[in-house]
Amino acid sequence: MLERYLTLALRSIVLGIGVVWSAFPIFMVVSSSFKTPIDIFAYPPKFIAFSPTLENYSTLFRAWPQFISGLWSSLIVTVGATVLTGVVSLMAGYAYSRYQSRWLTLSAFSMILLRMLPPVVVTIPLFPIVNQFRLNDTHALLIMLYAAFFVSLATWILKTFIDQIPRELEEAAEVEGASLLQRLTKIILPLSVHGMVAACVFVVVFAWNEYMFALIFTSSEAKTAPLVLAEITGTLEGVQWGVLFAAATVQLAPILIFVILVQKYIVIGLTAGAVKG
Amino acid sequence: MSDLKIDRINKAYGDFKALIDISLDVQNGEFVVLVGPSGCGKSTLLRSIAGLERISSGDIVLGGRSLKNVATRDRNVAMVFQSYALFPHLTVAENIGFGMKIRKRGRPEIEETVTKAAKLLGLHELVGRYPRELSGGQRQRVAMGRAIVRDPEVFLFDEPLSNLDAKLRVQMRTEIKALRQRLGITSIYVTHDQEEAMTLADRIVVMNEGQIEQIGTPLDLYDRPVNLFVAGFMGSPPMNFIPCQRVGDSLSAAGAAIAPSSLPSHLPEKLVLGIRPEALVFDSEGALEGTVEVIEQQGPHTLVIVRLDDGTMVYAQAHKHIRLRFGDAVQLGFDWSDAHLFDGVSGLRIELNKDGR
Repeated sequence: MLERYLTLALRSIVLGIGVVWSAFPIFMVVSSSFKTPIDIFAYPPKFIAFSPTLENYSTLFRAWPQFISGLWSSLIVTVGATVLTGVVSLMAGYAYSRYQSRWLTLSAFSMILLRMLPPVVVTIPLFPIVNQFRLNDTHALLIMLYAAFFVSLATWILKTFIDQIPRELEEAAEVEGASLLQRLTKIILPLSVHGMVAACVFVVVFAWNEYMFALIFTSSEAKTAPLVLAEITGTLEGVQWGVLFAAATVQLAPILIFVILVQKYIVIGLTAGAVKG
Repeated sequence: MSDLKIDRINKAYGDFKALIDISLDVQNGEFVVLVGPSGCGKSTLLRSIAGLERISSGDIVLGGRSLKNVATRDRNVAMVFQSYALFPHLTVAENIGFGMKIRKRGRPEIEETVTKAAKLLGLHELVGRYPRELSGGQRQRVAMGRAIVRDPEVFLFDEPLSNLDAKLRVQMRTEIKALRQRLGITSIYVTHDQEEAMTLADRIVVMNEGQIEQIGTPLDLYDRPVNLFVAGFMGSPPMNFIPCQRVGDSLSAAGAAIAPSSLPSHLPEKLVLGIRPEALVFDSEGALEGTVEVIEQQGPHTLVIVRLDDGTMVYAQAHKHIRLRFGDAVQLGFDWSDAHLFDGVSGLRIELNKDGR
């Protein structure tokens, strides 16, 4: 009995520390975005804006039009990378699930190998290729890069889901006249949709927040929101913290809401194949 | 509907030969049942007709068209799977109409056809449900519905009833029979259950180890099995096999001399006498002697298992009020017109003169 309470207490404490550790900075950023510059630096710190103001937001949208275009870029790149990853992983996951050959094993291995390399290692050899195909500062490049990094994980998640779909369903569809593509879209996709969502969550979060590749390979046209955020910290007039926090809040809010909405699928995706049932 | 001609097909998985030189002609509208023990190749044959298995050699001709290079989806066959293979994310109506939707038929046409099929199968109140909300028998009907709406050239059934409980199985068997009489569909039906084969088939194909043992009407197979395998497979309880020896003009079985008045000439020395349980009678003058081992009441009759003097166990079907007890000494007799004689080495049937007393 005592042991149970102890476990429970310990668990709550650890969980509490974890929550504070991750949520406190977010709380500070969001609440500060509604504070006047004086309140931001008030000591002792004010945790809640006592006289909330939208000043920071109006300054942000007035003084930083490139932030809007950055958000737009981020959106295009995120959606593009997610769709590309989804399509490629569905097909790859299907192939790995339904067929077996030495070449497939080799390709699976190399896919995971790429994933294990630190991103910087991949960056340098990418330069000549990017230049040759004139992909610098394009959305397409970021879409492909982000997709490339998540195809391995997404493929693996989808493979475990597709493994659980009986072959007979496909055979039945085939007898009914369905082509391979129709089987993929009408049978495999709807039946592995949980896996698809789980796989996509990872890409969405990564693509929305990614900084390094975007910094290296974009300059103006395809500049994403995180880069503009960084620029806001580095202005000549000194950092306008309120504006920065407002921008950070705008950038953070959609992804936070998204993750909270689909967290069920993240668990499903990560435990796919771990338990039978 | 079309004729189906299977012409010397072979199927091998590496060294394992799943189908060996299979030839079979199915007439338009005929209901043919493939039956045999598991692993005999009957499902492989069925799947080869559907194109789900690639045959190694030979040809399958459906309605005059060779299916050699025709993909499954273009073969115009319908198939009912053992697991039903219903699409879990689609409703009953969508499952039934799946093939038509794939073939891009108009929505009103699909709706009309699906409604008609659902009515025929007694599913019209369930069209909006999902497969998980259906009982086994209802799922089975949906699978049938999906097959009928296609109006295929041939119907393929892969053990469609084996996932149902015994009572439902008999009921669905009757429904399939009624349905086929109504629709007159060329059908190939795979089962391991010889009783199902007997009740449904116009003709039965008995398969074993990748080969066809015998093709014939249910009664052909029951009355004149070509070899020991078919004789033992068809009928439940199975035919009794009693090893016997030719001694001059007579036969000796279980230590007793039994002989028809005229034995065919050139009999081999080692023989097997086959007698179905219902042909064995308790008769104090019977030639076969033994003791009662087990008595099974079956309702309409009583099944008695007798150990003959040479140790062979035989089933005898007796009147339900027969008075016997474990260990009783009994004599069994039979009529030669009900007996089957097989070569003891090759297992092949030896024709007896039917009036051969």
